[in-house]
Amino acid sequence: MGLYFTHDRVGNPYVVGKAMMLRTTLIACLLLFSQLPASAGDYREEFEKGFLTKTWSGEQPESNYCIECHSSDRMKPAFLEIAEQWKASWHAQNGIACHNCHGGDPKDPSMSMSPHRGFVGTPKYAEVPEFCGKCHIGILKNYLDSGHGKALRTSGSGPNCATCHGSHNIQKANIEIISEQRCSKCHPYERAKTMKQALFLTEKKIDELETGLRRLKREGVYVDDNARNLFNIQAEFRTLFHSVDVNLVNDSTSHFAGRLAVAEKRIQNTFSELRFRRNFAAFILMIFACMGATLYLIIKTPKD
Amino acid sequence: MVMGEKIRNWLDVRIGLNELIRTQLAEYRVPKNINVFNALGTIAFVGYLIQAISGMFLMIYYIPHSDHAFKSVQDIMTIAPYGWLFRQMHVIGSNLLIAAVILHMVTIFLMGNYKRPRELTWISGALMLLLTFTFGLSGYLLPWTQLSYWATTIVTSIPTAFPVVGEYISRLFRGGDYVSGITLTRFFALHVSILPPLFLILMAVHVALIRRIGLSATPFGKSDEEKRPLTEFRKKTHPDGYPYYPYLVQKQALMVIVYFMVMFAFITFAPTFFFPEATTVPADPFRTPETIRPEWYFLAPYQMLKLIPNKFLGISMLIVVAFLFVFWPFLDTQKEKNIFRRPVLRWVFISLMIGWVILMWWGKR
Repeated sequence: MGLYFTHDRVGNPYVVGKAMMLRTTLIACLLLFSQLPASAGDYREEFEKGFLTKTWSGEQPESNYCIECHSSDRMKPAFLEIAEQWKASWHAQNGIACHNCHGGDPKDPSMSMSPHRGFVGTPKYAEVPEFCGKCHIGILKNYLDSGHGKALRTSGSGPNCATCHGSHNIQKANIEIISEQRCSKCHPYERAKTMKQALFLTEKKIDELETGLRRLKREGVYVDDNARNLFNIQAEFRTLFHSVDVNLVNDSTSHFAGRLAVAEKRIQNTFSELRFRRNFAAFILMIFACMGATLYLIIKTPKD
Repeated sequence: MVMGEKIRNWLDVRIGLNELIRTQLAEYRVPKNINVFNALGTIAFVGYLIQAISGMFLMIYYIPHSDHAFKSVQDIMTIAPYGWLFRQMHVIGSNLLIAAVILHMVTIFLMGNYKRPRELTWISGALMLLLTFTFGLSGYLLPWTQLSYWATTIVTSIPTAFPVVGEYISRLFRGGDYVSGITLTRFFALHVSILPPLFLILMAVHVALIRRIGLSATPFGKSDEEKRPLTEFRKKTHPDGYPYYPYLVQKQALMVIVYFMVMFAFITFAPTFFFPEATTVPADPFRTPETIRPEWYFLAPYQMLKLIPNKFLGISMLIVVAFLFVFWPFLDTQKEKNIFRRPVLRWVFISLMIGWVILMWWGKR
């Protein structure tokens, strides 16, 4: 077994042992494997070109030259803070990067600030509403029709978006933005206070539902669909606020309350489902506990 | 004649069922001093069975595609009837199973049951543990969450520390430079079609060896297997022992019930223990989470690799440890089975365990 017969140069038969065969096989394997990465290289490249560029194969992490430059030592100190402020912003948390507002190409350092790639730089004070309104379309319309928007248009000194929300360090909007400290810089607070009162109940309900969704998320429930729905309601409601028209807000409140009630019902149903799951699992646990106790007693019962 | 008896007779005249039951259950004797730790293997077996069955149910709704994987898993949790239960059982079961298998190996080690003539049983078990880790690694990516994506990124980057072939191995797993949709389909194939048959073969070999060689008589102390020179095969029998059924079967059933109780205790009281918030966030290659760490059973080697400045040295050490672990029965040539009479081995074992726990804790921070 395992012996192979062959002949030497002069024709005498001799035996090639197992060790020899094993050695030859190993060398062949080594040669094969050493060639494998090289031969597979072309195939892999083609394979990747074909599949990695397609959407289904997932995305490639990309570099952002705006952030790289604005975080480097070459940058002026005033501009150096921008990247850090943005990183802590609500925009950053929601994947809105520099080029989404300022244009340019964040992947190509030579074209990152090129007008050919849509770079618009820093907008002038009066242009800020249009600048933000590229995305916040509904809000822009209501703002332009409002006293705030008209003041900016006519005198050029009315409040723009950044006056209340800030710019690169923009945070998630909430009702506390309407404050005596902020509003009374330009006009008496009374009117703003009435608006805040009109917004209060709806905003409170939205806050409650957001808290509920956060709790569900902590419970391991996927809430993105519900969160998106709530976000839409909230965004539409806040669009109304930018008209600075208290009557309009009051008239629309019942409509939003109805939509929020539907969202609330959905969240409550999910909580009920979680309670059912817990009770169901507890029931199964009890069944196993009873089975275990019975079996334990059987084992411990003395046999004849 | 009642229906049950009719079926039994029908089978008996064809396959000799009664004889099979008599020889394999009633006449099969187990040592009198056998303890509950001997049931850990059975727990592992049932654990694998739970994984296979729950996995089959999950596969009905799961879509192994980077655009749909996350959504399909969320649909399993919310829309599919009792999908949440099967997923919880699968995820919690995988962690409990790994813990049970590790405990099984540790007790076998402590009882010295890896010694001759059971070297092959140990090797097949050790290989099964390594395959179980691979099951865990490949299954972890499938929900395509932030947690799974970045944990897989870490684990698949470990082989790159190895020169020449490291990059190739990493790319082989990933199907490119990064974890992508290709990685997902590769891991899915590995998880559901490549690993299971390999695992079943090993399991069959493992169980066959246990039955063929026979159970070890004394957990601690010298057994007669070491007293005689190993020149011929002799099956270890225990004529004065207890019958396998009902004596050991009852103990095994009790341990399996305890396993189920632990599983359902997690589902009832700590359903999010293995489902942190990051498991509800879809994978985003553009957003690196602040803290990335692999699963708990990879934490110690991961931390070890982080601590050793030379990556090649680090991965070489891991490979050496894996080899030592698999081929340990051939390295430990001392005949003494009782670890309490082997101070050096005992302290090495304790140091390793403490080191492992410290590295895990460190890696988790």
